Amino acid sequence: MLSSPEGLPAAPPTDGEIAPPLLIARGITKHFGGVVALAGVDLTLRQGRVLGLLGANGSGKSTLSRIIAGELSSGGGEMHLAGAPLRHASPQDAARLGIVIAHQHPSLAPDMPVWENVFLGAELSYAGGFIDRAKARRRTTDVLSELGSRLDIAAPAGTLTAAGQQLVEIARALARRPRVLILDEPTAALAAAEVGHLFAAIRRLTEEGVSVIFISHRLAEIDTICDDILVMRNGRTAGAWTTSGRLDEGRILSLMTGDPDAVLREMGERRIGEPVLRLEGLRAGPAVRGVDLELRRSEIVGLAGLQGQGQVELLEAIAGDRRIDGGTLWHKDRAVSPRRPRDMINRGICLVPDDRRRQGLFSGETVGENIGYVLLALAPRPWHLPAEKLAALATRAIRRLLIKTDGPDQTVSALSGGNQQKVVIGKWLATDVEVMLLSDPTKGVDVHARSEIYAIIGELAQAGTAALVFASDVQELLLHCDRILVMYEGRIVEELSGDAMTEPRVMTAAFGKAAG
Amino acid sequence: MRALRYTGILPSLLMLVVVIALNARLQPHFFGLPSLEDNIATLTPTILVCLAQAVIVLSGELDLSVGAGVSLINCLLATVPISAVGGPWGLMGLALLLALALGAINGVIVTIFGLPSLIATFATAAVWFGLALALIPQPGGELDQSVGDLYSGTVSGVPVPLFIVAGALLIWTLLGRHRLGRRIVAVGSNPAAAFQAGISVLRVKLAAYLVGWLLVGLAAIAISAQTLSGDARVGDTYTLTSVAAVVIGGISLAGGRGTPWGALVGAIVLGIVSNVIYFAGIPSIWQEFFKGIVIMSALGFMVLEQKRAAVA
Repeated sequence: MLSSPEGLPAAPPTDGEIAPPLLIARGITKHFGGVVALAGVDLTLRQGRVLGLLGANGSGKSTLSRIIAGELSSGGGEMHLAGAPLRHASPQDAARLGIVIAHQHPSLAPDMPVWENVFLGAELSYAGGFIDRAKARRRTTDVLSELGSRLDIAAPAGTLTAAGQQLVEIARALARRPRVLILDEPTAALAAAEVGHLFAAIRRLTEEGVSVIFISHRLAEIDTICDDILVMRNGRTAGAWTTSGRLDEGRILSLMTGDPDAVLREMGERRIGEPVLRLEGLRAGPAVRGVDLELRRSEIVGLAGLQGQGQVELLEAIAGDRRIDGGTLWHKDRAVSPRRPRDMINRGICLVPDDRRRQGLFSGETVGENIGYVLLALAPRPWHLPAEKLAALATRAIRRLLIKTDGPDQTVSALSGGNQQKVVIGKWLATDVEVMLLSDPTKGVDVHARSEIYAIIGELAQAGTAALVFASDVQELLLHCDRILVMYEGRIVEELSGDAMTEPRVMTAAFGKAAG
Repeated sequence: MRALRYTGILPSLLMLVVVIALNARLQPHFFGLPSLEDNIATLTPTILVCLAQAVIVLSGELDLSVGAGVSLINCLLATVPISAVGGPWGLMGLALLLALALGAINGVIVTIFGLPSLIATFATAAVWFGLALALIPQPGGELDQSVGDLYSGTVSGVPVPLFIVAGALLIWTLLGRHRLGRRIVAVGSNPAAAFQAGISVLRVKLAAYLVGWLLVGLAAIAISAQTLSGDARVGDTYTLTSVAAVVIGGISLAGGRGTPWGALVGAIVLGIVSNVIYFAGIPSIWQEFFKGIVIMSALGFMVLEQKRAAVA
């Protein structure tokens, strides 16, 4: 028997009665280094109810739920569970109290079979710690069938599809018989039928008195399953209420984004030219499922949407850094099928990658060396080190991009995030950039450097470069782009330009509304 | 069949058959009882150290000090008078205690202080070796004959070394059905997932080191009983042999994947390779050279087979 948490909740309150709070969090704060993730959040979870947690990317939803689940310690504030102060230091503590989380990104042991993953850390065992395999297999089958799944429970978890892994992650949470169940975007990888089964399972749990925190970007799901709503913005509670009737989407979106009308616009004079890059039904892996787009000279196009809708993968595929499985990529009048980034770099199509520290920079090397790598890579005679050319390039890049550094000999890791990003962009000055692909170039960059980076993009565009920019922050795209393409589940579902480029319209499309 | 392929043990079994066939051709009376017993007695310490390395590697770490640990324990056994510990069994108890202590030190350095195991155990290997030299600067010393008699004896007809190996494998098999064993694999497979599942990664890795070093202790007892003397270099070759055996046996150096049977097969393959080269009549100066070539080929064969299996 899996030890059930002590003091299982009493019978659920009958309809009409006000369900008492089970979990209360007040003024929860959390800092990561200098970054404030939570700036004092309040949360009340009622017994036997489903609380929908909403907010834009980076609003702190996941941080809050990980704190409640004992995976992170809070920086301040207090929590109460069933009236008693809640001070748990680890996932073990939390599980003992009946608080269990299913993560957005399943974290499974890839080499172990499904059934072992479901009971990992809470093994069903005989006396002495020997595992009761038969029982664990049986219970796994039971839990999975509750979720309407017939996964092979003996298959190593690493061989499952994303949906399969998500189901295992959820099954693991259910198997622990929680009284507080946190589901962090459980439906992102699931098909509609699987979502239906999950909702049925959630309803059965709440009837037994289990409380659920449900995180999703899909408003329709929130509408279907949630009793209470909590909207977060910038690490704070932006609004909380009990639902009655249908959700007011406008209200939620404006709470999530702050003030949707206060959007400044700033457009340089640019003459948009002929098409340079055209995609027809481009597919790459499971993330990019058929993308059509056209990019013209001197044009700045924004790629919007929630995180993980295939934007990063699309940019990588265009840059030759990800295998293209189908569709056509036209560079001017020629269909190209890149096998490696070099193929595209030679055509002047360059990527400023998603993770600058891992993909964009040699952290231990100097600013000058980092800027010079492209020149070295493209040099016709690789055994010859064009020292003067390298030095000139570094100086030019530092001046042109306003990189704040002691000089080309400073180690690049000593620079601030924004200046590191400028170095990543600067290395492409060695070549004629026809198309610049930028994957979230202002991630972790302060406001000032952010506007400088867009100024650089604008300057390049004036000189004829076409830019395709993915940014997780919609505001900056609205501010700097000529057009915005919204991606949802690997496809472009909306194209906005001119007066149609407003945050509510982008957000609506980002939630898949325009498509469905 | 599917299980065999998944654990990657199949190619190493094939290799085992090949080396045994070669050995049987080259070594007169290979399958004769005296020669077989002799081979098993010689192989036992290697097998035990390889099994030890396998536990630690499965947990996602590595231990480059197992060889030096064997030497240190051997030197201690050759120094302590048997009367002081009350006979051969006392001496063995002492060896196991020291092994656990060494394992605990490595485990604590790697888990609590968080040093990379590759470097940390490289350093502790030097420490163990230094201590062993301090105890027995020149090969020598003497172990009581009673220890040797115990090792070369039989238990109801079964030679003691075979008994020890069977015991170690039994422990391993039980571990595979035990919470601890599965948690070791989980931690090696994906430490973040294990942590989020409520497993204490530190405690599990520490436990892996302790279990591993218990086997190292057994190996040291076995080798001491064979040589009946102390030598600060007696364990030298075991370290890298154990790492190679683990790889040949299809255990991922990244942790989390593999079985003890793989380590067993890898250990026997490497042990017999030395035999084959010896009996092939290769001049002694060239023996190491050919051993290196054979190990390289074995590893290459393994890696290619594993890649093929992964694609299939």
